[in-house]
Amino acid sequence: MSTAGIREPSVGRLAVVRAESAKLSAFLRRDFLVAWSYRLSFVTDWASMIVQVIVFNFVGKIVRVDAVGTFGGSQPTYMEYVAVGIAISSFMAVGLGRVYSVIRQEQLQGTLESLLLTPTAYTTIQMGSVVYDLVYVPVRTFIFLGLTTVVFGTSFNWSGLGPTLAILLVFIPFVWGLGVLAAAWTLTFKRGTGVIGIVTTFVTIGAGTYFPTSVLPSWAEEVFRFSPVTIALKAAREALLGTAGWADTLPSILVLVPCAIVSLSVGVFAFRQALERERRRGTLGLY
Amino acid sequence: MGAIEQVAAGDAAAIPAIEARRVSRSFGAKQALREVSLAVMPGRIHALLGPNGAGKTTLLRILTGLTGPDTGEVRVLGSGAGDLMSREARRSIGLVPSGDRTFYMRLSGLENLRFFARMHGLSKNEAVARSWEVLHDVGLEDAARQVMGTYSHGMQKRLSVARALLMSPPILFVDEATHDLDPQAARRVQELVRAARDRGTAVMWATQRIDEIRGFADRVTVLREGTVRFEGSVPQLMAVTIARRYLVHLHGEGDVLAVAGAALEDLGGVALSSDADGEHFIVALREEVVLGRAVAALDAAGLSVLTCREERSEIEAAFLFLTEEGAATDREEGR
Repeated sequence: MSTAGIREPSVGRLAVVRAESAKLSAFLRRDFLVAWSYRLSFVTDWASMIVQVIVFNFVGKIVRVDAVGTFGGSQPTYMEYVAVGIAISSFMAVGLGRVYSVIRQEQLQGTLESLLLTPTAYTTIQMGSVVYDLVYVPVRTFIFLGLTTVVFGTSFNWSGLGPTLAILLVFIPFVWGLGVLAAAWTLTFKRGTGVIGIVTTFVTIGAGTYFPTSVLPSWAEEVFRFSPVTIALKAAREALLGTAGWADTLPSILVLVPCAIVSLSVGVFAFRQALERERRRGTLGLY
Repeated sequence: MGAIEQVAAGDAAAIPAIEARRVSRSFGAKQALREVSLAVMPGRIHALLGPNGAGKTTLLRILTGLTGPDTGEVRVLGSGAGDLMSREARRSIGLVPSGDRTFYMRLSGLENLRFFARMHGLSKNEAVARSWEVLHDVGLEDAARQVMGTYSHGMQKRLSVARALLMSPPILFVDEATHDLDPQAARRVQELVRAARDRGTAVMWATQRIDEIRGFADRVTVLREGTVRFEGSVPQLMAVTIARRYLVHLHGEGDVLAVAGAALEDLGGVALSSDADGEHFIVALREEVVLGRAVAALDAAGLSVLTCREERSEIEAAFLFLTEEGAATDREEGR
């Protein structure tokens, strides 16, 4: 008996891709309704965001203006610096944190097997599981940046939005690949969510989300300098806080593209292997 | 004659909807299935009967592709490739799982069905229309917009049947569907499955509730410790029973067991065993022995028959013979 995932003959593959893509809206609706059923969590999410903004505004008042460095000759405030950091890291949280936790949740509530019994591709299940977050997080981020602009007078170079989106376009697949890899890990070992949380926090801080990496010990600064998260965050800051345009952003994008390809390829491969392994072993429902 | 051979000997044109050939599966040191073969024809209900741990769920999981076999072959709708992970195979299979944890409990019944219908490839409008249809079929229209978390166990099970029938699959697997349902709800689920069978669906019904298969299942496979102990029709299953068993309450002087044993000895085909209290006995009668004669013999021996009731149904006796007593025989023979 074959042990691979859903396979289709090459004829009609395009129709299959179209049919699979159409399923994503069903995932979106499902997760919106589930999220909406926890109305209080919406309120607390927005409340925590507002509190976060207020806290960083006060922290900004005690931080020297030049402490965060300059971007393209411009000197941002601490609030502007950290706002971009939080915005980018929220995408990392989705990719790295949500992908595996949603798959884990499906496994815990027993719906993973129900999904696998339908003619739905593994990739669709992975993408569908986070499609709601991929819509919600940018909206939330945009409102977050808007809020800091309106209430605290932060200023962004909105012409840098295009290059920033281009960075996100390659950054999201990179962290997504890591998230799928984490999902494969939890499917196989049923544990490890704590480790993934710690790694996420470590990478977020090390990338300079809340403070410049120059304040880190020199060895840590060297290590994190090569992190794709650091590279993406730095490029986004150059674009939104400085004057970096498409040409300035391109080198960062060119570094992130192979990272994204490798990360996504390894993640998807590992996830398929993990699912097939669990299926063969008959332990898909175990957690 | 095994299931496969029977199919071959029967209608040559008929292709089993479900076919397992010498399927074995072990989990560590435990052999869950040992060379299990069976075939289910379209429009038939095939009961998979066995006590807890017999291997029913493992077999169903293998047949649905959720678990792989160690050895053996599984075919669905005669598919040469036997590929249960193919899109076509998944469209052909409906599963009513034994557990409740298979739905999104924060969503309504309608939304759950709509979601799974979309996963089967239906468009938004088709998914909604089909969800309402199956909700109507299982009698859950009024609760359609109710959150799943508020559904009773019986309602959840009916919704599970509805989901399995969303695509009118030619194959339906039902795992312990009536387990801990009240009789009315159990009957309702059976009616739904019977209706699917009447539309040509091949049904595999795994259960440990043996009385529900009479008048319901067309064929039965009895599993014990992963091995097929019996394969045939329900009447054939009943025919393998060695005895009708009665619980009798006797009163008399002296050693009641010895007196009763001596009284029944002449009848032949009667086995007597004592209960712990020395007053209740199990009298097992072979087919040819009339109960009245046994009671008369006990009475003639000076024993008062205070009560007498059939201990188990014939079908249950057959089941126990195949699973428990058969196991005892195996143990004695060192198998």
